Amino acid sequence: MNEAQSTAIAELPTIADFARTFRRIQAEIHKVIIGHEQAVQELLSALFAGGHVLIEGVPGTGKTTLVKTLGIALNLSFNRIQFTVDLMPADITGTRVILSSVDGRREFSFQPGPIFCHILLGDEINRATPKTQSALLEAMAELQVTVSGTTYPLVPPYFVMATLNPIEMEGTYPLPEAQLDRFLFKVRLGYPDEAELVRIISSTTGPEEAGVEPVFEPHEAALRIEGLKRLVREVIVAPPIEQYAARMVRATQPANSRVLGDMHASILVDEVNRYVSFGASPRGALALILGAKVGALLDGRANIAYDDIDRVAAAALDHRVMLNYAAHSDNVDAAHIVRQVVKAVRATRT
Amino acid sequence: MSETRRDEQKLWLILFQIKGVRSRLNFLAMQRWLFAGIAILIGAVALTFFAAASLGPLTFLGVAIFLLLAAIVGIIRETMLVRAMRTSPARAAAIADTRSQMKGRLTTVLALAATPKRSPLWAYLVEDTYGRREEFEPARVAPRWLSRALYPLIASILLAALAVPAARFSNAPRRGPARLGPGGPGQITADIRNLDIRPADPALRPNAEIYADPETLRKLADKLAAAENADRNRPGLSKLLDKARSFADAFQDKLNGLDHARNPTRMRLTDRNPGQPGKPRNDNANPSVNGNSGDGNGLADNSHNGAAGTSQPGAAPISPPMTSIPPQQADELAAKNSTPGAGSDQPQAGPETPNTGDPNSGGGLMHGAGSDPASLYGPASARPLGSDSFKIAIEAEPSNESTSAGSPTYVPPRIRVPLNSNQYPDQPLARAAVPAADRTTIKRVFER
Repeated sequence: MNEAQSTAIAELPTIADFARTFRRIQAEIHKVIIGHEQAVQELLSALFAGGHVLIEGVPGTGKTTLVKTLGIALNLSFNRIQFTVDLMPADITGTRVILSSVDGRREFSFQPGPIFCHILLGDEINRATPKTQSALLEAMAELQVTVSGTTYPLVPPYFVMATLNPIEMEGTYPLPEAQLDRFLFKVRLGYPDEAELVRIISSTTGPEEAGVEPVFEPHEAALRIEGLKRLVREVIVAPPIEQYAARMVRATQPANSRVLGDMHASILVDEVNRYVSFGASPRGALALILGAKVGALLDGRANIAYDDIDRVAAAALDHRVMLNYAAHSDNVDAAHIVRQVVKAVRATRT
Repeated sequence: MSETRRDEQKLWLILFQIKGVRSRLNFLAMQRWLFAGIAILIGAVALTFFAAASLGPLTFLGVAIFLLLAAIVGIIRETMLVRAMRTSPARAAAIADTRSQMKGRLTTVLALAATPKRSPLWAYLVEDTYGRREEFEPARVAPRWLSRALYPLIASILLAALAVPAARFSNAPRRGPARLGPGGPGQITADIRNLDIRPADPALRPNAEIYADPETLRKLADKLAAAENADRNRPGLSKLLDKARSFADAFQDKLNGLDHARNPTRMRLTDRNPGQPGKPRNDNANPSVNGNSGDGNGLADNSHNGAAGTSQPGAAPISPPMTSIPPQQADELAAKNSTPGAGSDQPQAGPETPNTGDPNSGGGLMHGAGSDPASLYGPASARPLGSDSFKIAIEAEPSNESTSAGSPTYVPPRIRVPLNSNQYPDQPLARAAVPAADRTTIKRVFER
């Protein structure tokens, strides 16, 4: 190992550190959240991959609790915004207010909104108007907020978790594709099974509440999380694996898509052509690779395997596949399409 | 030794091991191609050999063509398959990754080995992979030394080993006639008038040496010319089929080791009525009459069996229409054929020769003897002739083959009807010396 490498590695946490920290956070969350192991892993993967998460689940499945627990476990600043139809962008980003100084002078001062934190929970984001929803876009993508021509940077790590309620769709505003694409993963929270439900009942109706221990000290939390995120970026990806991820994303794009033009995908999945109007964007490929990198580190590897890609495909591509009316009429969902795509692309492994 | 150099050495060892995996996989692929190719060839040859021995010519031809095509397709397919299986270093690394649960480590190391700018985790990856080098040793990735294609090869060899005796067994009936040598039991005698000449059936492999006097040969040539004319009128498809059958039969004989040319059927051709010009005989005119078609010598038919007996007192009483004689004797007989009643001298006739009543087998010769009035006055038979049975003469071609190989000749059952008290069994008249006083009268009756 040369000196440069040694230095670089010395600055980085080790792979074992990463896996240990990840497991600890997981364990803390599961003190409160019963079940949902897959969802928790995807949530943490998105956090360490530097992305944001869209959580979809029916009411009462622990969406808000999960996010709050994560905030406590990471010991980071946490804000929650309940999106409603009358919520304005300034309510999120903050606004300039006139403040009187000691000497009597009045001046505009920026009052940061709830968006300025490390972990932001946007509850039922689809209830806000598109204008308000889009206020999140800049913050999510560029880690900055511009108010009245002034740009305010957000302090990393910055992690947005938005919840979606798939029922009670009356008066909601479905997220536009551009905004959906900015979420690294979409995590589904289903109903717990009977055993999990029993554990939930016994743990939440007793006199004592489960206490979540923060994994990091307050002063080091952000730094350590950023270090772990850098480690994720250093995971090695072989060109064949990159091609595999690219092939998978291309396979979600229908051959008759207007935006695809003459560049047809090398793998044609019949159901994609029939039910998909728009496939995954290049951000989908990034999501696949970043999610797979976290999976590789958790497995103690410095490289990605094909299986790592397959494992995160559902979370990374589901919300990026736009279905057409035929799919809705045939009751075909995006998860099914992605499963078919993974199956088809897996057959092309070298 | 510096850390970097040690890392490079480890990397080199990993790459060397991947190369070993690749060589082993390619060796197995080559074996597969070789074994499978040989297996296909042996299997196809064995089945062709068996088909040659057990099937008719046209069926054999179809089967042989099918087997040939199947073998070609099989070998091409196998070649393409093995070509696709040819392992590149990247593929070898991927296979080793899968089989030894290396989870993409080898693929990554191989792909990025030549990259100058490496991740800080590269050293970790090399170290990690090197630490697991026992898991991706060539012997563990591909534990077999011999390809599984060896099993089909063994199976095809077994098939071939079984096909040879099976072919010999089913080939026995075909070999039988070929062993007929000169003067053997297959030698036959036929009358030109009963000779039906038509386009040869290639399946029967007509192959005969014919002995006859010049006059008979001339008649034979006429008949051949007539048959050739008839052959010209046949449809083209029929001729093509005949050619195919002929080709298939020759191929079959080659495979079976049969040679008709060396052992031809020897046929003696006679003309029982040399005085009359040989006219084309209508075979369908009276198929049930043996030898008396056209000239009304019904009496001669009755004297058929007795002719030989009267001429040779010491000879067997039942003279066979089909005889086996050496070619020299056949030539002599052919030379004597112009003499009426000459056929009654049958030196080779023996009791063991079957009396089949075959019209093609010398029946005409016997008729000639029996209808000759001069022969009616021969010496008395040593014992009564005939029996209470009867014969039905059938039209039949002399052939070395039966339609189904190895099937026995059909022997009609003897039927005995119980007689009442007023009935007496038919007894053929015993030949007796004609009283001198009656000879003129009897002779006049028969000459009428």
